[in-house]
Amino acid sequence: MRWKKLGRVFDSTMVRLPGDCGQFAQAPQALVCEEYVRVFFSTRAVDMRNGKYLSHVAFVDMDKSLCNVIRVSEEPVISLGGLGCFDEHGIFPMSVVRHGDAVYGYTCGWSRRISVSVETAIGLAISRDDGLSFERVGNGPVLAASLREPCLVGDGFVRCIGDLFHMWYIFGLGWRRYSPDVQPDRTYKIGHAVSKDGIAWMKEEARQIISDRLGPDESQALPTVIEIEGRFHMFFCFRHSFDFRTNSDRGYRIGHAYSDDLSAWTRDDENPLFDISAGDWDSDMQCYPNVFECDGQVFLLYNGNEFGRNGFGAAVLEA
Amino acid sequence: MFRWKKLGKVFTPQDVRGRAWLAEFAQAPATLVFDSFVRVYFSCRPPADAGGQYVSYCAYVDLDRADLFRIRGVAEHPILSLGGLGEFDEFGTYPVSVIRDGDEIRAYYGGWTRCESVPFNVAIGCARSLDEGRTFTKLGKGPVLSYSLHEPFVLSGPKIRRFNELWYLWYIAGREWKMVAGRAEPVYRIRMATSSDGVCWTRMERDLIETRIEDDEAQASPDVFSANGTYHMFFCYRRSTDFRGKENGYRIGYASSTNLTDWSRDDTRAGIDVSDEGWDSEMVSYPHVFEVDGEIYMAYLGNQVGRYGFGLAVLDGALE
Repeated sequence: MRWKKLGRVFDSTMVRLPGDCGQFAQAPQALVCEEYVRVFFSTRAVDMRNGKYLSHVAFVDMDKSLCNVIRVSEEPVISLGGLGCFDEHGIFPMSVVRHGDAVYGYTCGWSRRISVSVETAIGLAISRDDGLSFERVGNGPVLAASLREPCLVGDGFVRCIGDLFHMWYIFGLGWRRYSPDVQPDRTYKIGHAVSKDGIAWMKEEARQIISDRLGPDESQALPTVIEIEGRFHMFFCFRHSFDFRTNSDRGYRIGHAYSDDLSAWTRDDENPLFDISAGDWDSDMQCYPNVFECDGQVFLLYNGNEFGRNGFGAAVLEA
Repeated sequence: MFRWKKLGKVFTPQDVRGRAWLAEFAQAPATLVFDSFVRVYFSCRPPADAGGQYVSYCAYVDLDRADLFRIRGVAEHPILSLGGLGEFDEFGTYPVSVIRDGDEIRAYYGGWTRCESVPFNVAIGCARSLDEGRTFTKLGKGPVLSYSLHEPFVLSGPKIRRFNELWYLWYIAGREWKMVAGRAEPVYRIRMATSSDGVCWTRMERDLIETRIEDDEAQASPDVFSANGTYHMFFCYRRSTDFRGKENGYRIGYASSTNLTDWSRDDTRAGIDVSDEGWDSEMVSYPHVFEVDGEIYMAYLGNQVGRYGFGLAVLDGALE
């Protein structure tokens, strides 16, 4: 696979972000519309009560070359969850898929904990207006921690294949304090679930479907899947589980795996997906990929340095 | 008609020596009958930490089968460990319900975690014992029943039963966190799920017991007992505000069903209320009904939701 980089196509510092959000356009997720591509992303406001972040979902409409911004949403497309709910403190990311006339948004909801920073779970919200606004199906999650997936279920990416909804998502193995003076860090892996209606899901409980390349402490995140010429390709990001935020040698890179049966995945990311130039917007980190097809071309959206603090970029598949 | 004849308080955790983790509280009694004793599981607490926060452990006391007021022994250690860092049961295991399954004993318990915006969240865990219920091993690090679409938080108070080869779990699920005098308090209702193996559960997805005293009534401890062709549920309920005293505190309610899913509530038939004075004069709660040697008993909590232990009552009349 050879990708041509299009550069940072959305610079979030050049626009007014909705909902009192100042920075970040994380985890871009494309919804192809008639005239444009609507790209949902998570952006952050500051919680005035304690200075922590609250992630909100907004979108930017881009022309189909992904080179020009048409407009940015004026409001978040979904409110945060109520008191004590799984998505009270942020939605990051929200992955979208068309189903009939509706758009299903699978949210990764964040709620803060005391002994560790956060717990996550996956919710469902539905849009009847092409993604301008989303209504929750319920106040709780459709996929959450379970017997052998003890924490941090999130990053759901859903596609209908045949008669079945498939979800690729991540589950936490646990939290660990790597040295006494640091906050606990977590490790998560990519899993798979199926559903007949997109609401009630059957997990392949705790089956890690993508092998580790960095060893057991590799964290894998945000899977995205596309079928190209009869073969399924998954992109995701992976990193070491600690000292990954500022140490570029241990930070996120984009991984790749392929499957012909949606069950067995072969990891194939020994070589970087594309060239990285020192000092560039994505030189230290590449993360949160989203792959989609538009007018016969396959695009990859992703974030660069600092987890997407200043926007996202794109690449187009050449061969 | 039936009523419960009170026999008095049978167990006082403050009387137990040498167990720092069992300083006070003996909450949500649940029994397992052995040849010569009745093992009563309960949840207890060490003293609160510097921040006033509690953790809770599960333990048991063995009562002599021939004289339930004679204590034969108390668990030397908690029957379950607390969960690890970031796990759903890191800060407490309360309450617990047990059942025999062949050679093993299965326990279902509420696992407590601490949250930032609300004080806690609870999900239901499962563990098994191969040593007659002295120690339990968790089936996994995560819950068997967790937050879901229409049960968004606080899944607690599990009561495990088997009827007609099917596993039944009655439990409570939170529907709202209500701010009461600056403090977030959960409003919860009685729910139910069924399973063919006790691990993979199908929820009924509805409230089983209608509210009676107010819309935000909290309901807990749905304890189901089968007798004379009818299923009898004893539970407890309270108001959503100022419930830590006598006026709005817990009382025991009653509902009956012939099919385990449709329940008819009639608290006037519960047959038990607060006493004029003594250990259960302000509230009665967390009922558990069990049968031993031809008698039917109710174990229940009194004032301060079991801080000073639990008592027993014996059935006078017939459950029908």
